[in-house]
Amino acid sequence: MKLSTYNFLTSMAIKGVKVGFPLKLTINKKEVVETEFNPTFVERLLPKLDWSAIYGAAQVNPSDMRQKMSFQAELTEDIPAVQPENIGENEALLQKLHHLLFEIDVLEGQLECPETGRVFPITDGIPNMLLNEDEV
Amino acid sequence: MHVEQQQQKVNKAKKVDKKQRRCLAIIKSDCEVIPSEDPTTYLAILNVGLSNGLTEECLLQAAAGTGGKVTEVVMLPGKSYCFLVCDTLEDAQAIYQGMHNVSNIGQQGAVAYLSYVMGLPALARKNDWNRPLPSGLLVLPDFVSEEEELMLLRSISEDGRASEGSLKHRNVKHFGFEFLYGVNNVDPAKPLEQSIPSACDILWPRLESSASKWDWSTPDQLTVNEYEPGHGIPPHVDTHSAFLDPILSLSLQSDVVMDFRRGEELVQVRLPRRSLLIMSGESRYDWTHGIRPKHIDVVPSASGGLTTQARGKRTSLTFRRLRRGPCSCSYPTLCDTRQTKAPEELSLTLAAQAVSLEQRNVHEVYDKIAVHFSETRHSPWPQVADFLNSFHPQSVVLDVGCGNGKYLGCNPQLLAIGCDRAQGLLAVGRQKGQNVFRCDCLSVPVRSASIDGCISIAVIHHLATGERRLAALREMARLLRPGGRALVYVWAKDQRKNDKKSAYLRQNKAVNKERTTEQEQRQKQQQQQLEQQVPNDTPLPVHTNRTEFQQQDVLVPWKTKDEQKTTFLRYYHVFEEQELENLVSQLPEVRIVRSYYDQGNHCVIFEKKDK
Repeated sequence: MKLSTYNFLTSMAIKGVKVGFPLKLTINKKEVVETEFNPTFVERLLPKLDWSAIYGAAQVNPSDMRQKMSFQAELTEDIPAVQPENIGENEALLQKLHHLLFEIDVLEGQLECPETGRVFPITDGIPNMLLNEDEV
Repeated sequence: MHVEQQQQKVNKAKKVDKKQRRCLAIIKSDCEVIPSEDPTTYLAILNVGLSNGLTEECLLQAAAGTGGKVTEVVMLPGKSYCFLVCDTLEDAQAIYQGMHNVSNIGQQGAVAYLSYVMGLPALARKNDWNRPLPSGLLVLPDFVSEEEELMLLRSISEDGRASEGSLKHRNVKHFGFEFLYGVNNVDPAKPLEQSIPSACDILWPRLESSASKWDWSTPDQLTVNEYEPGHGIPPHVDTHSAFLDPILSLSLQSDVVMDFRRGEELVQVRLPRRSLLIMSGESRYDWTHGIRPKHIDVVPSASGGLTTQARGKRTSLTFRRLRRGPCSCSYPTLCDTRQTKAPEELSLTLAAQAVSLEQRNVHEVYDKIAVHFSETRHSPWPQVADFLNSFHPQSVVLDVGCGNGKYLGCNPQLLAIGCDRAQGLLAVGRQKGQNVFRCDCLSVPVRSASIDGCISIAVIHHLATGERRLAALREMARLLRPGGRALVYVWAKDQRKNDKKSAYLRQNKAVNKERTTEQEQRQKQQQQQLEQQVPNDTPLPVHTNRTEFQQQDVLVPWKTKDEQKTTFLRYYHVFEEQELENLVSQLPEVRIVRSYYDQGNHCVIFEKKDK
């Protein structure tokens, strides 16, 4: 699961859940897939994304310590908590966002509903958001 | 200069020869007619026939111009060639010399090519028009006069209501009660303000005298259809439980040919302008009727052969009387009352078992057939690709029911995400590098108003009730941002719209080869075995693949390609015309941008309104 996909996911379908967003992300295993950087694409996509979920994703600590070191170094320092203005002129930040949204691929981990704690597993890169009949 | 002209002449002659040879090859393979170098009394007209609008009159006129005498004209339905028979070789030669590469009787004035042939095709004398009419069918010519025709047309347009124009290939207007195309029935509790215009009262006494053998009551429902040339109506039976017997249909303004079908039987019936068609008994209950969407009909000629007739604008007045109860006919095949025992009973069963039925006959099946199914789903349908390419770059598009993700890579300038229930299919998409997650289409775990475009191709026909199908559409509407658009495809019950078989029907090898009785028998047995696999509590028929649908709720077999050739049954609700539109129009937050029919599917594009 790319973190751009993560940005859209919610648990609001669960009975009683109001917002269900952002989901709490846990990464057990990830992979970095290099893709071509297109600054215009990232910039124009940003209005459709939720910044708090972008920032949240950047703060995630991989459970594996070795991955944790490299992951944090890659990301957390450079994604500000509030979306800066004129982001189009900040190519370095756009590059970081590109990496965060399109190159990090979560292979194993989980998503957790912020209101009920219901856990959605991520297996082989595919989040399983399926709910049981009695949960909706 | 002189040499050049001669060269041009030679080239032209070569071209004619080439075309003549090509046409002859077609005729030879089509009906085993052998060309002759020497003159014979049989002439083939190679490139004009009934299929491209040639009339017998026009052909005879051209032949008469040559001085040669014709004794017989043979025109074959659906063919772009025809034959002339003469008494003497002299006549044939005169016609050959006068017409070959001379007569401009082809389409848009194209010149005709002729050839002598050894004889007529074996089929030539088999005339479909000599078949008896279906029992209970009657056509009363000149039922109204031209003045009365005008008066009737005026009276139906007089009330100021524009015709509803709601059907894709014809305009419709109802009096007395509205015919609801989504459910193929009327609501007896909701009469319309406009009852049948009193001008129509002139018809009933005439009927009384000419058709007294029926037990009929004055109609209380009138449907007016306006057909432009080229329009038609798919083969259908008037819903048994909706209307009594007989059904009356008055043809105004133009002649037309109506097809009556029962199984493999086809009877073509000419409905002259100002005639009344009466369908009763077998013809009302056991035969379907329809009009092919064409500009030109093939009809019997004065000489007993066939010719063509151009259609004009036609208005039909169909008079019926509401039944207000279940049908008690003795023709079960097309009877909605019999077929579903009680329609309400089936829909109640489906409602009660929707979840388990979808689980067993949709989700579990797709999980089991994922790899094989995915192999059969590779090329995107062009109109879906067009829709995806209509979005601005950087738009976010969600494919609800993405299967193996074949549409996710269609437009690389989009952020495309897919979801599906079938883990096996998702894994295929994931391997191709697509963004996918697993969920149910009734609760899509995506933020509200966050998506620019949504597609759902061949998904909601797997849901077992109208409420669930509507809920899936409502969920798509929720995801869309204002101005966002969604495209939905569902399988159509009618697989031969515009009388062109869909790809699904065309791939029926057995039917295309004229299935033998023995094969048919075998297929029937297999069918019965399959039906026994289904638990008794869901009384759903098993559909025969590559044939037309008999019911809306069916189980469709999927045969695996491995050695076991296991058959799985998938549940489908195939959609009637307008049914999808009717569902979408129940969502106040969206408006329909376009609806169309594409290769056996009903399709709708809808847009979310601005707040």
